[in-house]
Amino acid sequence: MQQRHGKTFAPGSMSPATASPARLDFPLEDVDAPLKVETTGSRLRSSIGLRLLVLVVLFSMVVTAISTCGQLYLDYRRDLAAIETHFDEVEHSNLNVLASSLWNVDVEQVQALLDGLMRLPDMQAATVTEAGDYASHLVLKAGSPQAHPALFRDFPIVYTADGVTQRIGTLHMEASLDGLYHRLQRTAVTTALTQAVKTFLISLFVMLLFYRLVARHLTTISQWLAGFTLVGDRPALALAGKPGAHPDELDRLVAALNSMTNRLRNAYQALTNANRQLEAQLLARQQAEREIHRLNAILEQRVAQRTMELQAANEELSAFAYSVSHDLRAPLRRIEGFGQILTAEFSERLDQRGLHYLDRMCAGSRDMADMIDSFLRLSRSTRGELTLDDLDLSEMAQAAFQQLQEKSPERIVEVTVAPALSARADRRLMGVVLENLFANAWKYTRKTPAARIQFEAFDNGDGVHGFFVRDNGAGFDMANAKRLFAPFVRLHRTEDFEGTGVGLTTVQRIIVRHGGRVWADAAVGQGATFYFTLWERGSTNES
Amino acid sequence: MSRDNVLLVEDNSDDVELMLHAFKKSRIANEIVVVRDGESAVDFLTRQGDFAGRQAGDHPALVLLDLKLPGIDGLEVLRRIRSNPETKRVPVAILTTSDDDADIVRGYDLGVNSYIRKPVDFSAFTAMVEQLGLYWLVVNVASPT
Repeated sequence: MQQRHGKTFAPGSMSPATASPARLDFPLEDVDAPLKVETTGSRLRSSIGLRLLVLVVLFSMVVTAISTCGQLYLDYRRDLAAIETHFDEVEHSNLNVLASSLWNVDVEQVQALLDGLMRLPDMQAATVTEAGDYASHLVLKAGSPQAHPALFRDFPIVYTADGVTQRIGTLHMEASLDGLYHRLQRTAVTTALTQAVKTFLISLFVMLLFYRLVARHLTTISQWLAGFTLVGDRPALALAGKPGAHPDELDRLVAALNSMTNRLRNAYQALTNANRQLEAQLLARQQAEREIHRLNAILEQRVAQRTMELQAANEELSAFAYSVSHDLRAPLRRIEGFGQILTAEFSERLDQRGLHYLDRMCAGSRDMADMIDSFLRLSRSTRGELTLDDLDLSEMAQAAFQQLQEKSPERIVEVTVAPALSARADRRLMGVVLENLFANAWKYTRKTPAARIQFEAFDNGDGVHGFFVRDNGAGFDMANAKRLFAPFVRLHRTEDFEGTGVGLTTVQRIIVRHGGRVWADAAVGQGATFYFTLWERGSTNES
Repeated sequence: MSRDNVLLVEDNSDDVELMLHAFKKSRIANEIVVVRDGESAVDFLTRQGDFAGRQAGDHPALVLLDLKLPGIDGLEVLRRIRSNPETKRVPVAILTTSDDDADIVRGYDLGVNSYIRKPVDFSAFTAMVEQLGLYWLVVNVASPT
């Protein structure tokens, strides 16, 4: 019976009725490529509806089998009890008649009685055996007795005559179970068929119900999810005929999916925006970097060009300085030389005006020689290596003042040089600085009675310390202080104080090369003070 | 030519004239031989070219050398004098208007005996020439060869 069920519902030989809903359960295969399967077994495992069907059928078969077995057992017991009842009826109703017939040795009667007994249901054989010591017992039979009957009973035949009860024979009855088994078999087949049909119909109904309520919606959801993209305007997920009046699990699933989709899209949108911003920033940065590189290249090119120009200019300047030192001074010296020869040896042949012009000519050549010398000093102050030594500025200052005094011995100037002033600097250049500053002080105190010049150190307490040269001479207007250090600028008329206007420029260049500053403080008629510092950035060596 | 000669290497005729004037003023009687360029100076000292007939071993007591010369310059003349075994001990004084440190250093590196900057002032120049003559022609003892 089970085998017949199996044949009917085996998935491999599916009837058209079961194939139809099963196919409806499978559109997933068309949508979801990775789930695509070919074999029956995996096809079974990939469909919830089909699996449900198989499980329901299997369970029904088991239940049907158990209940049928129980039913058959009950039927068996009932039929057995019916046979026993027949035996009891024989004992009560037929035995007395049989006893009297046997007593009378009415063989025909006994035979008729036995045939009558055989009409009882399930009876197979009845045998009467006469009791006694006779050589030949009377044995009468009806039916066909078996060697090992399934069910039998022996009844003693008792006859009471004249108050004496004696056993005159035995009735042996056999019952057959063939009929019983036949009935049971029929019942079993009927029950199994009925149950199978019922189970199949219920399963079919459950499957249709499942498809209607769940599977088709799941298919819709899976199709929708398969086509889901983070961009674009796909409509929200909606199921056919849903939501109903009372939202179920699927409706909640759809709502959750839609809300998740929205959150995903929002997050994706935010990420995309952030990404776009980053890309824009990256692009801008790359552009800026390219621009920087380009500008750097241009700058480097310009620096290289300027450096070359500067080098060329420096070389030109060196050549010019050399030329000035040699070529320009030579003719000047000749003018001077011939002028002096004229003055010394031919003055008696010149009149007063001739002598005056000769004098002016010589003075002019001397001025020009001074100018050339100062230009050369200025040019040299910015060139060449610095050779740094620990200098005794006090000693250098004293020597410089001594030279000035020797040049104009008639001057009476009160010179104060602070003792033990020292600095680390280039000896030659620092000498130029001191000579220029002292020469200025010396020059501009020429018209001052009780002229005083000081050379001392200062420390303003802010870490700025250096030296100053102070005089009480002509001074100058502080409004002109800015122009003081520019080349060829003079604040006094040449008639009052001679000069070329490059001395302070030279001083400033030298001080700057020594990492310092120079500035002035003055007032017209009150004198002037020139301050200078060295190595203000803390370095004692020029790189 | 005696060994009291002075060789003046100077291209400018005015300077030559002034120098001769100064020598005359300072009463230096030594003969002054003037050459106007570097090649002539070297030829004179090594007895070549125009000076091929000069007597061997007859060196001037002093060479007064200007730096700026047409053709080979003063320092090159000095280098050739010092690199020639015959003339390497001849006293050479550079007499120039240049006070460029590089010129001074190179001059001494090449073995000059004296570096003199021409004073602009003519009386100072005359005094300088007098001292020069007195020192190199009277006080100084030249190498015998």
